[in-house]
Amino acid sequence: MTTEKSEVFMVEPLNRGNVSKKKNRFSLSSIMTRVRRRGGKMENMKREVEINDHRLSIEELEKKYATDIKVGLSPADAAERLDRYGLNKLTPPKGTPEIVKFTKLLLGGFQILFWIGSILCFIAYGLQVSSDPTSPRDNLYLGIVLVGVVVMTALFAYYQEAKSTNIMAGFKNMVPQQACVIRGGSKLQINATELVIGDIVDIKGGDRVPADLRLFAGRGCKVDNSSLTGESEPQARSSELTHENPLETKNIAFYSTTCLEGTASGIVINTGDNTVIGRIAFLASGVENEKTPIAIEIEHFVHMISALALFVGFLFLFISLGMGYNILNAIIFFIGIVVAYVPEGLLATVTVCLSLTAKTMAKKNCLVKNLEAVETLGSTSVICSDKTGTLTQNRMTVAHMWFDKYVHTADTSEEMTGEQFDMSSKTWTALGQVASLCNRAVFRGGQEDKPISRREVEGDASETALLKFTEMVLGNVAGIRDQNPKVAEIPFNSTNKFQLSIHETDDPADKRYLLVMKGAPERILDRCSSIMITGQEWPLDEEMKEDFQRAYMELGSMGERVLGFCHCYLPEDKFPVGFQFDTEEMNFPTTNLCFVGLISLIDPPRSSVPEAISKCHSAGIKVIMVTGDHPITAKAIAIAVGIISPESETVEDIAQRLNIPIEKVDKADAKAAVINGGDLKDMTTEQLMEILRNHPEIVFARTSPQQKLIIVEACQNLGNFVAVTGDGVNDSPALKKANIGIAMGIAGSDAAKGAADMILLDDNFASIVTGVEEGRLIFDNLKKSISYTLTKNIPEMVPFMVYIIISCPLPLGTITILFIELGTDIIPSISLAYEKAESDIMNQKPRHPKRDRLVNIQLAAYTYFHIGIIETFSGFLCYFTVMAEQGYLPGTLINIRVPWESRTVGDLQDTFGQEWTYYQRAQMEWTGYTSFFVGIVGCQIINSIIRKTRRFSLFRQNVLKNRVFLMGIASQIIVAAFLSYCPGMGDGLHFMPLRVQYWFVSAPYVILIFAYDELRKLIIRNFPGCWVDRELFY
Amino acid sequence: MSSKEDKPVEQSQSSWKDFIYNPRSGEFIGRTARSWALILLFYLIFYGFLAGLFSLTMWVMLQTLDDYTPKYRDRISNPGLVIRPKAPEIIFNRSAPSEYKEYTDHLEAFLSKYNGEHQQNNIDCTPGAYFIQDNQPLPKQVCKFERSLLGQCSGITDQTFGYSEGRPCIIVKMNRIIGLKPKPTPFINCTAKKDDKLSVNYFPENATFDSMYFPYYGKLAHEGYVQPLVAVKLLLNSSDFNKKLSVECKIEGSNLLNNDDRDKFLGRVAFQVKVTE
Repeated sequence: MTTEKSEVFMVEPLNRGNVSKKKNRFSLSSIMTRVRRRGGKMENMKREVEINDHRLSIEELEKKYATDIKVGLSPADAAERLDRYGLNKLTPPKGTPEIVKFTKLLLGGFQILFWIGSILCFIAYGLQVSSDPTSPRDNLYLGIVLVGVVVMTALFAYYQEAKSTNIMAGFKNMVPQQACVIRGGSKLQINATELVIGDIVDIKGGDRVPADLRLFAGRGCKVDNSSLTGESEPQARSSELTHENPLETKNIAFYSTTCLEGTASGIVINTGDNTVIGRIAFLASGVENEKTPIAIEIEHFVHMISALALFVGFLFLFISLGMGYNILNAIIFFIGIVVAYVPEGLLATVTVCLSLTAKTMAKKNCLVKNLEAVETLGSTSVICSDKTGTLTQNRMTVAHMWFDKYVHTADTSEEMTGEQFDMSSKTWTALGQVASLCNRAVFRGGQEDKPISRREVEGDASETALLKFTEMVLGNVAGIRDQNPKVAEIPFNSTNKFQLSIHETDDPADKRYLLVMKGAPERILDRCSSIMITGQEWPLDEEMKEDFQRAYMELGSMGERVLGFCHCYLPEDKFPVGFQFDTEEMNFPTTNLCFVGLISLIDPPRSSVPEAISKCHSAGIKVIMVTGDHPITAKAIAIAVGIISPESETVEDIAQRLNIPIEKVDKADAKAAVINGGDLKDMTTEQLMEILRNHPEIVFARTSPQQKLIIVEACQNLGNFVAVTGDGVNDSPALKKANIGIAMGIAGSDAAKGAADMILLDDNFASIVTGVEEGRLIFDNLKKSISYTLTKNIPEMVPFMVYIIISCPLPLGTITILFIELGTDIIPSISLAYEKAESDIMNQKPRHPKRDRLVNIQLAAYTYFHIGIIETFSGFLCYFTVMAEQGYLPGTLINIRVPWESRTVGDLQDTFGQEWTYYQRAQMEWTGYTSFFVGIVGCQIINSIIRKTRRFSLFRQNVLKNRVFLMGIASQIIVAAFLSYCPGMGDGLHFMPLRVQYWFVSAPYVILIFAYDELRKLIIRNFPGCWVDRELFY
Repeated sequence: MSSKEDKPVEQSQSSWKDFIYNPRSGEFIGRTARSWALILLFYLIFYGFLAGLFSLTMWVMLQTLDDYTPKYRDRISNPGLVIRPKAPEIIFNRSAPSEYKEYTDHLEAFLSKYNGEHQQNNIDCTPGAYFIQDNQPLPKQVCKFERSLLGQCSGITDQTFGYSEGRPCIIVKMNRIIGLKPKPTPFINCTAKKDDKLSVNYFPENATFDSMYFPYYGKLAHEGYVQPLVAVKLLLNSSDFNKKLSVECKIEGSNLLNNDDRDKFLGRVAFQVKVTE
């Protein structure tokens, strides 16, 4: 660790952007190794190893690819090769064929039960018809309706899925990439997809590398390999062979990486899926996707309900057989019970609820690809977050300055709303001048209307930061440069480790030349003999040097990259106007300069992140930073954003504070831990899991993408639901392995987006928190929605049981049941998804995956055995009322089933001696269905209202606030009234017009449900942990 | 309950056994005896209360009902017709008594309540006028319908109701509906469907349901009420034997419906007859 620390103070190569060096040398190869172990796709691997083009000379290459670097391929040749090798693009991972997807939907969930039900219906109808050709077609219709329900549900789910897939398709259809290619001796712009092996391609700053290229010429070319390695460190590219490993050598540029600056020319050596990135993307697709928690929950309750439905169905099949019903009747009863018990509309409701949330989240910049993943963030207990771009702004920014012996803080906020430092000192004037002049970065043209921080710059990260900073503080840097024309310049190189330029001054009276220099602070200091304090030059004594050291240490320990600045006015006598400066010979002084100050740079955290992290913490979510960056920088950012709280210490901190060896520190005292990827490599899984268990605040630095996967697996082994953020192709295995993979919408590579379940459109960590909130909310709301939906299954099923046992006319028909399930109750159950959070869901712990189920015993018991039973009584009261008022008192109804249903009995007597024909009885029966239906609907209205809260009193809730909910209730009443009063409903759907007063028969039970639930909530609120709380809180 | 979720993985194999009965915690299907007792007691009280409430609401509802007439009779605004013997198809060999005994026994049993001894208390009413007794004390009086009115089909003279000669009697009955007053007097008209020619004799000869039998006051108020009947004697000839005759009887000449699309028995009744020699 100590060696690591010193590294940050080491001289940093100026022209290489971020903290770079040896990190992740193994990243690509390690991921390859891993994939090899998994997939065993030796065929591809062999080919990968076979890249040896970097070792070949240009001539050999020309021979190998039958091309010419001057003339390129002939168009005919290119066309022929295109024919042979195919388009230069990545084959999208083979999705499941559409028909298989649809078939799965047709057979998933409750669908199997419905298929069985409908087949039984057709069999029953067949048997009925064979024994009596005139028998009613009810069973035929029911069978058809059931098939219809299955197909509609599947179509609906398919549509919803297709919709979210289409969002993804939008990403893929980006503007076709162009490539500048030499063919037949002339330069052409063609679509990158048409490139073939052997093509000669020119790339320049800003281009995406269009294929794997062996470079044969390069001028100041730098590439960003982040889409491949996940590291945004710019890497130089030239024609030199610098490494035996094709993945490390400078003369190969990889497909999909970005050329940042400079130009280069190369021969296409691989295209499409054969490119390195193509192989990673292909092989990474072998990692299995984890099942989403909500899918597990839905499966759980589908199994539970299916098992119960079959159990009750078979129970009554045997009871009815035992009671002497024939097998045909018994089968019909079985169908009736299964249809009544299974919540037909539930899965559609859940799908709609999830897609509504997905829409809301999309508005808040969380694009959900897989509908089920909507809830996953809510269950997440660990977030493994990338640093660069997610937690930070992904742009170097000036954070601090040191001059006049003080550290000054610059404004790093994204919108530049922070405080400004004191600019009155003359030293600052000098420092600003050096920073503006000794800087090769320039703004790209035509951006004057953009805010400075958004403008695009040509130049590396540090220089860009300095340019923007000076532009912001001094204004018009270009003007300053014009007034101080550059006469000579030495760009940065790794031996000098400084950058120097010589300018005329802007003071016409002053004919001296100004030499400005910047570089690694200690190197700069070494070249100085004086230091500027409040505009005056002072000799650089030991005390000053100590001050410098202290400031340098301080800035370095904040994870910042520090640059030193100095200048020197060259004496006019030695360097008169027109003096020829020779940068090769260095015919000018580069020592005894005047030290002006230090400027330190950092990729600052996004301003919204600290709040988001603290929200995560209060929501019981552990945030782990996993980064390829240097531990010091990683830790500094972790502290800045709150991943490591200010009072926490790592083992190393404690050791330092107590001045004892690291081994002697009690690990339990250290809340925080910063783990280096190098150490992680030597750890066993158990050790890693122990670290994850023991330290609440963890930062993994210098990790390879493969280690990211290991960390995710270890977290999952500890029983956590893990969210992973990532943007590189190499992140895709971890993104897939995670319970929810979150890709960055702006910085993310296509492969990462493809592997992820969710895409952050603004790359902002704070959006994840929104996702967590929405996920938790939808979990609670689904509970409400499901408990509402399940309630009516009891009043739908019990009539069948009563019918079988007391042999009365059927109180509630199967078609009627379907109309409750798919008609009146659908919109109210969906509208519950619009409920606002009941309590502060972001102050609760993530749910326990095993204990906090979506549908638990309490929910089922309260729904089925409390509210459901009350609704049953309500339905029966309505039914008996209608029957009695038309002439059939309850006593008469018992055991009347056989003559009642007999078509040959044309004169069945009611209680009052009147005689009824078969059709009159049928209409009476349908009136009974309708009344029972109305009895249920009445209760379901109040049921939907009480389900709005699980704990709080409805009196405290603004019931009218949820507009959609009110619409839901209105729809329920309208649909019910339509079914009852629309003419002609009787014969088809068995609904009859009801007298108005029958709609109010259920009033006592409506009031009872409301009062009972309020009582339950009252007890739960006032006596937490009491028996009622334990048994009846769902 | 939640405690069992936390058990280490290695115990999960025996967990279903533990679920049935867990000797360590004394839990039986996830609950201790005390817990079971508590929850059963709760449901006993809760369902007891619900049953009580249901009984109460039912009782209140029944209190609003009248003992003598149902509150609404709109589901049966028109009466249906039925025939006796009660069978959609009447098939028999006229020379085989065993084949038609079923029918004649049925007719005999049906007509037994029209026997003189059952009608002693019934009064002779004025034909052609409704026998209104809305304000009369209970029980309401019943108009006499003598079995002998059915003549040849009364079973008095011909105990085989004409079945032995191949000219069977069918009795047409109109459903009772409280308060129903057909206007004017309806009569029964039986025809053969298709082109078959059918001659019939009606008993009483005018084939009417006389108005004096209406209105009906309900089972409780109108004890011993007998419906008027119309007997139809199918005068089959030898040419009609051995083939299936479709006959439809309709109620006509009144405001009663006899052509409802849906209800094939509203004011009409169809049946088939096949007599073999």
